[in-house]
Amino acid sequence: MKSTMSKLFATAAIVAAPFAATTALADGHGDDLTYILVSHAPDSDSWWNTVKNGIALAGEQMGVNVEYRNPPTGDLADMARIIEQAAASQPDGIITTLADFDVLSGPVADAVDQGIDVIIMNSGTPEQAREVGALMYVGQPEYDAGYAAGLRAKDDGVGSFVCVNHAISNVTVAERCVGFADGLGIELGDSMIDSGQDPAEVKNRVIAYLNANPETDAILTIGPTSADPTILAVEEMGIAGDIYFGTFDLGDNIVQAIKDGTIQWGIDQQPFLQSYLPVVVLANYDRYGVLPGNNINSGPGFVTADALEKVEEFAGEFR
Amino acid sequence: MADPIIQMKNIEKHFGSVIALAGVSVDVFPGECHCLLGDNGAGKSTFIKTMSGVHKPTAGEIVFEGKPLDFGDPRDAIAAGIATVHQHLGMIPLMSVARNFFMGNEPVKKFGPFKAFDHEYANKVAMAEMKQMGINLRGPDQAVGTLSGGERQTVAIARAVHFGAKVLILDEPTSALGVRQTANVLATIDKVRKQGIAVVFITHNVRHAMAVGDRFTVLNRGQTLGTAARGEITPEALQDLMAGGQEMAQLEGSLGGTV
Amino acid sequence: MSDVQNTDERIKETSRLRQALIRPELGGMVGTVAVFVFFALFAFDSGMFNAQGVMNWSVVSAQFMIIAVGACLLMIAGEFDLSVGSMIGFAGMMVAIFGVTFGVPMWLTIIITFVVCVGFGALNGYIVVKTGLPSFIVTLATLFILRGFTIFFPQTIERKTIIGGIREAAEGDWLAPLFGAKIGKPVFQWLGDIGVIDTFQRGNRLGEPVVDGIPMLMVWAIGLVIFGHWLLTRSRFGNWIFAAGGDADAARNSGVPVNAVKIKMFMFTAFCATVFAVCQVMEFGSAGADRGLLKEFEAIIAVVIGGALLTGGYGSVIGAALGALIFGVVQQGLFFAGVESSLFRVFLGVILLAAVILNTYIRRIITGER
Repeated sequence: MKSTMSKLFATAAIVAAPFAATTALADGHGDDLTYILVSHAPDSDSWWNTVKNGIALAGEQMGVNVEYRNPPTGDLADMARIIEQAAASQPDGIITTLADFDVLSGPVADAVDQGIDVIIMNSGTPEQAREVGALMYVGQPEYDAGYAAGLRAKDDGVGSFVCVNHAISNVTVAERCVGFADGLGIELGDSMIDSGQDPAEVKNRVIAYLNANPETDAILTIGPTSADPTILAVEEMGIAGDIYFGTFDLGDNIVQAIKDGTIQWGIDQQPFLQSYLPVVVLANYDRYGVLPGNNINSGPGFVTADALEKVEEFAGEFR
Repeated sequence: MADPIIQMKNIEKHFGSVIALAGVSVDVFPGECHCLLGDNGAGKSTFIKTMSGVHKPTAGEIVFEGKPLDFGDPRDAIAAGIATVHQHLGMIPLMSVARNFFMGNEPVKKFGPFKAFDHEYANKVAMAEMKQMGINLRGPDQAVGTLSGGERQTVAIARAVHFGAKVLILDEPTSALGVRQTANVLATIDKVRKQGIAVVFITHNVRHAMAVGDRFTVLNRGQTLGTAARGEITPEALQDLMAGGQEMAQLEGSLGGTV
Repeated sequence: MSDVQNTDERIKETSRLRQALIRPELGGMVGTVAVFVFFALFAFDSGMFNAQGVMNWSVVSAQFMIIAVGACLLMIAGEFDLSVGSMIGFAGMMVAIFGVTFGVPMWLTIIITFVVCVGFGALNGYIVVKTGLPSFIVTLATLFILRGFTIFFPQTIERKTIIGGIREAAEGDWLAPLFGAKIGKPVFQWLGDIGVIDTFQRGNRLGEPVVDGIPMLMVWAIGLVIFGHWLLTRSRFGNWIFAAGGDADAARNSGVPVNAVKIKMFMFTAFCATVFAVCQVMEFGSAGADRGLLKEFEAIIAVVIGGALLTGGYGSVIGAALGALIFGVVQQGLFFAGVESSLFRVFLGVILLAAVILNTYIRRIITGER
């Protein structure tokens, strides 16, 4: 028994080691302002790395503590618990998304009512942000962005498309496809496919869809998770550059594909700004009481083959 | 002697083209230990499975307490009072002795609409029965896994006796045991016999059989080679019968009669 | 025979303390104490131990407990259910589709959901006992089938994968509060009034306590743990559960209805998953296609931390409940302590490993395995 107990303590010490280091680091700034960003992304979603880098940089520049939290599997009910937890730890501000208004509005409103400043980023709408009592909304209105992209594609002569959706359960992301269809002036119908998150699955489903529907004019992907395998799919089918290909969000492979001419344009919602700006806004609000008077639209910005230099340099890191 | 409690008359059992039993007849009386000897493949297991209701005989008749028997499944046999303690026991090592003892026959105590397992009763009975068999447990919650092989056999035998076995079939209970544990199990068999229960003791070890047996039946290649009472036959003769006579005699000669 | 003859002098006398210690729950008890000491040292003033913080990790732990009780009894009966997570998503979606889309009264919706889900549990069990296939494979199939339906139905019917409006549909229903209500509100209001619990500082809930009651989720968790513990240790059926998982053939030989026991345990696991799901949709008001992802593993982890044996026949509901508590406290506590959230899995792995090693050691003492 004794040896087991000592083993247990040894284990506890090992567990404690990285933990103590992290705590020391978090307290190292000597500033008492703490902001917590709660995202809805599962661990596997690489796109959110830019958001993490954004708050980290803002935290450093503003001299405040910042923490990033997310539900490991992307389960939004778990996310609600994390927001409740964040509120219980009494930070100075919470930055979060409204990926599902029904689930998240309660916990977010409770946090606001406890006197914690909240800024909504990324998912959600300015109206919803106002309803839960948030200070502002920083992000890209998804439907509007999709609509603008749809109008652009219509001008380029597109009449039909397939929307490759890797986050089928995220309502706001689906709005991009709905907006795109409305911009084209067609019904969404069956043109949105649930691609799953696994690269091989996404690729094969896109190939299957395009083989079954050879008359499809355009492909719209809603992020790197669906775009990267789709690039491979069109290359494999030998239609890279022929088929009209637009995507939301940026990443290394997307930038390369824009350069190669495989992708016509990428819509950058500039996630860096979505996490960087709220920290700056909250810190200045807490310190000096200044607050911008309106919501901030971080996107949409169309990225095409022209002016790719900066994007290329920082893709996946800050872009 | 009283009437036999169970009579197996001319039992035949065929599995497809294989004749496992070719007309075996055995009587077992209450309070006797009837040893069933035979080499591997002699048909011992098939025979006792027929007796305990696992197999239906292809031909022949089983008479139990004077009435012809037709078991649908082993549960009927158990209900009638024919209990089998298998070579591989039927004890669950992770469970306590008391829980094992009452497995499938749990005593219950009523609390209004609820029926609860009566641990107090179960513990008391299990301890008492084990003590009677000469095994002192640390406590009724001791796991069966901590008992020795001989002690486990004893638990299984005590369990069968407690739940009203009239015929107790022991399938090679001593085959995997050491000398001391074997002695304990044989002593248990003796106690059970004295309670008036008919014991059918399957073994291929003549010395174990001679130690407790009242009568001996030898099976060879699916047939009975006859039944002998204690004192009518020598261990050497039994050994010969089991092995099929002559060849064994030659073999034994070359080994100096030590087998 | 005298006593002396039968006492094996090679067996050392074991002390009463040691006797009291060697039980399946020990790992869970040690772990619980260790975890609380740990967070008391590193996260004491982070809000983790104020009313709101306690409620936060209690609710998360209660969620784990509900599914862990089912998984625990099933594992002791010798089987696994990997479809728990999918069942949670599926049950929630059923409530949404029947209650919101089809407008069926909420009480009827809840009953239909329970019947269908427990039916799926029975089907799992029936296939396992009839085919003799490992439950691992059978329920893995169910995992995909249910998850597929959970995405397919709402997409086909509503063209979306999250259906909201459940709270509104449940308004005034007599059965829904059994899953979604909070109890003890006056007590918490009083605690808020005298300043024990913080109150809201603004908004339309001004003056109300930040923790305004005990959610039914926790009542269910405690109720299921008590029921499960009683069933396992104090009932006749509990003996059959141990027997079925310990050695199914031996149990059958002794007249235990092994197949019926296993099927019932699959149904109970499905029942627990459905309770989890209904409480969740009543609280959050919407059902999503990705709800409950990986929850089956979280349930199994909690059960294993709690001392149950993966191969069946051994374990404890109290242990599983403690495992769920450890899981919930660690998961939320790491956030309170400000640890980088990606390290959560590392901690989980370390705790799981430590628990399994400790439990193996305890079990060897109990069974005398070497």
